[in-house]
Amino acid sequence: MAGSLNNPARVLKPARGANKSVRVRPWRGVVLVCAGLYFLVPLAASVVFTVDVPNQGITFDAYRQIVSADGFGSSLLLSLELAAATIAVVLLLMVPAMVALRLGAPKLRPVVEVICSLPLVVPPIAFVAGIATVLKWGPEHLSRTPLFETFVALQNPDFPVVLVLAYVVMALPFVYRALDAGLRAVDVRTLVEAARSCGANWPQALVRVVLPNLRGALLNASFLTLALVLGEFTVAQLLGFQPFAVWIYSVGGSQAQLSVAVSVLSLLVTWALLLSLAGLGGRSRSASASRG
Amino acid sequence: MTVTTLEKAADAKAATVEFRGLRREFGPTVALDGLDLTVRPGELLALLGPSGCGKTTALRMLAGFEHPDSGEVLVDGEDVTRVPAHRRDAGMVFQSYSLFPHLSALDNVAFGLRMRKVRTAERRSRAAELLDLVGLADKGERFPHQLSGGQQQRIALARALALRPRVLLLDEPLSALDAKVRLTLREEIRRLQQELGITTLFVTHDQEEALSMADRVAVMRAGRLEQCAAPAELYGRPATAFVAEFVGTMSRIPGRLDSGVAEVLGQRLPVDGDAPAATEIDVLVRPEAVRVRADDAGTARVVATAFLGAATRVTVRLPDATEVKADLPTHEAAGLGSGAAVTVSLPERPVLVAERTQ
Amino acid sequence: MTTVLTEAGADVTPAAAASQRRRRRAPGWLAVLPLLVFVAIAFGVPALAMLNGAFTVKDQTTGATSYTTANLTDSLQGAYFTALIGSVKLSAVSAGIATVLGLPLAQAVVTSRFRALREAVLTASGVLANFGGVPLAFAFVATLGNAGVLTEHLGLKDKGWNLYSFWGLVIVYLYFLIPLMVLTITPALDGLRSQWREAAQNNGATGIQYWRYIALPVLTPSLLGGLVLLFGSAFAAYATAAAMVGSAVPLVTLQIADAISGNVLVGQENVALALSLDMVLIAGLVMAVYLPLQRRSARWLEA
Repeated sequence: MAGSLNNPARVLKPARGANKSVRVRPWRGVVLVCAGLYFLVPLAASVVFTVDVPNQGITFDAYRQIVSADGFGSSLLLSLELAAATIAVVLLLMVPAMVALRLGAPKLRPVVEVICSLPLVVPPIAFVAGIATVLKWGPEHLSRTPLFETFVALQNPDFPVVLVLAYVVMALPFVYRALDAGLRAVDVRTLVEAARSCGANWPQALVRVVLPNLRGALLNASFLTLALVLGEFTVAQLLGFQPFAVWIYSVGGSQAQLSVAVSVLSLLVTWALLLSLAGLGGRSRSASASRG
Repeated sequence: MTVTTLEKAADAKAATVEFRGLRREFGPTVALDGLDLTVRPGELLALLGPSGCGKTTALRMLAGFEHPDSGEVLVDGEDVTRVPAHRRDAGMVFQSYSLFPHLSALDNVAFGLRMRKVRTAERRSRAAELLDLVGLADKGERFPHQLSGGQQQRIALARALALRPRVLLLDEPLSALDAKVRLTLREEIRRLQQELGITTLFVTHDQEEALSMADRVAVMRAGRLEQCAAPAELYGRPATAFVAEFVGTMSRIPGRLDSGVAEVLGQRLPVDGDAPAATEIDVLVRPEAVRVRADDAGTARVVATAFLGAATRVTVRLPDATEVKADLPTHEAAGLGSGAAVTVSLPERPVLVAERTQ
Repeated sequence: MTTVLTEAGADVTPAAAASQRRRRRAPGWLAVLPLLVFVAIAFGVPALAMLNGAFTVKDQTTGATSYTTANLTDSLQGAYFTALIGSVKLSAVSAGIATVLGLPLAQAVVTSRFRALREAVLTASGVLANFGGVPLAFAFVATLGNAGVLTEHLGLKDKGWNLYSFWGLVIVYLYFLIPLMVLTITPALDGLRSQWREAAQNNGATGIQYWRYIALPVLTPSLLGGLVLLFGSAFAAYATAAAMVGSAVPLVTLQIADAISGNVLVGQENVALALSLDMVLIAGLVMAVYLPLQRRSARWLEA
């Protein structure tokens, strides 16, 4: 009875809100227009800058050059590889840990929370200063030990594992928050108990019941990590590697139009990724929204 | 002592509230469809109805949070429809969570006085007085998150009374509380309202709440007033089938209407009130008016029994599959297990009838 | 008899319970362990190396190292100190402006009756808040740089405009700080209950009084928390500044980068590490302020 009576109220509530905003509020228009100008003008100007080259008129050369530009393919590929590796490692580390915190080891939760927040306190530049110091130990102290080989392998320019390690650390706070929010919404313990009472064993319960319910959170975490790795510049540049962001920087000095064109493209790509994520995660998000 | 001073202040100006032809649409939804209602000075009037019937909209129009498309709101004969919310003389208690979270209980109560630029010492003493009135004199320094739901609503009540409003508005103030707290707070609101003699509008979808607290109950449906009457009259002589079924439990027994007499369960009973034009009708009966007798030759069967204390509610299925609820003294119902054969009859009194709905 | 029973019971039960507990607890620990080990190696070792390096100097002639606070002292003097102050000033100013501008924007979005506008602005904020770094710098160079589109069309150069300056950096930083503020403050604005506005009106408060006495005080922890978060974000930013101004504006991140790349005086190799430690301390302070504020606002807005 009460449940069925609740529905009409829900229907009415947005209507009430709509009524409230019928009052004209000119300040809102002013604020939105100003914000729109500030955020759109640089983008528009960047596009104009790339196509309206002095003495050449309108040309799309800058965009045509991107693909053939030296280092474009290899640096983008490197960035994508790093992103894939980082996402895989960070999820493999975090998902079991976070689920276990909910199920079996709640006392460890504050510990993990603090550990995952630590990278926020250490700015990337300070972190890379520390990494650079450690990497210097290799030639200085360890050149005669087998560990030296490890250090060399870590810094292989074709696939610098050290960057993956650094990026995983830098992604921890975001991944923690995304997964924590997802886990908060689903009550893992009850889900697992329900699955177990239906005859599922532990791995089945996790893979068939828990993970599907975390789909939105996993996507969210993956996207944040992807955005972080694709845009990361500080660590890569200072350690002397050349993924995508460093490449844009390096072409910036010589080819202004080209570098701005790539910047515009990279923004569009980020945008597309976020929208596709919103589309994929949309169902789970609306489900949790209707609860509140 | 404090109560008497407050009482006098409020008593002197117990207000009459009138809604005249209020109409309000939210997009395709008609929230109010020409509501006419008068609240008498000093009475507690409950607005009762299913959610979405417009009762809250009516209340919010009196508070100034909603504006009618047409019609007017009058307080003591004065049209207040265009008066902005912050200058209406109506204290409101919201459903829940309305206390300002960053202010202590005392500061919450004193907020209105602060807006009126009342001196600090004076408003603190007045706020303390009001806290005392709602029985929370010792909780003044607590913050909302340190108070229970019931305590929060008492503070909200004190805050609503702080400016000595002419009208008190209660928007389902008990619906977010536990059943037990709800009962005590219900009595307390009624006691305060009577002591202060303040004209009060109380919105609720809980009929028991409305019947037990209000001087009069206005039943609303789809933006219109169905009936406004004292609780006993509403229960005993509902004006419409909707009121009859919304207030209390009602069973429908199919019957035929024959020249103003209802034929039902083999009995011929006079019709109470206006008879509908149709011949296929349902007779509306309260559980306490239904008689159920164990009878091996009976065609009705007991389907379920529910123990209510002194009475037991027996659900009986008639041969045509209609289910009828009857309240029997528990000792009489003892022998009526599920499946028992029984006979159902009605007392020789005029009955309410309604057109058959299906 | 009783004693025997009790003893036997005491003997058996804890053992059984312990073994049962061990069986149940083991997966929990095991699942968390890899994470802990990873962080200890990938984060702990560099952090300790930084800490250690900040307090050591290497004697150039003997090659021996010794512990000292000289690096830290150096890092708080001369050009290094100027850079540190420059970073703090830039972060504070841009975070302050972003907070003041982000609030009305978020409020405009939250109170909008168009759901699509809200979704669009929040999605865009998510993108733009992560749009720091090199692309952002280049977009602004193309817009307001010396040969930028706006600079040329509006003749800004003659009016003394220079993007590669303190205020130029502020304008660029606002581009990702304002969206970050919108993202941070939107939940708090959503948490402002309509009942509070109505209860305030009901108690005789005007719209301005509602903002002055209710909304802003309730939002204060979130606003301060957002301000602190923005400060930290601007403080740590390196790529944008590096790609844009080089060293025209003294910033601590640029100094550290310089030092890591070997651009330092002999004997001051480890000053970069000391500067990093300074940054960590400031960032730690920021978190220490942020967390309690965040907790308080959560309590107010979710209760």
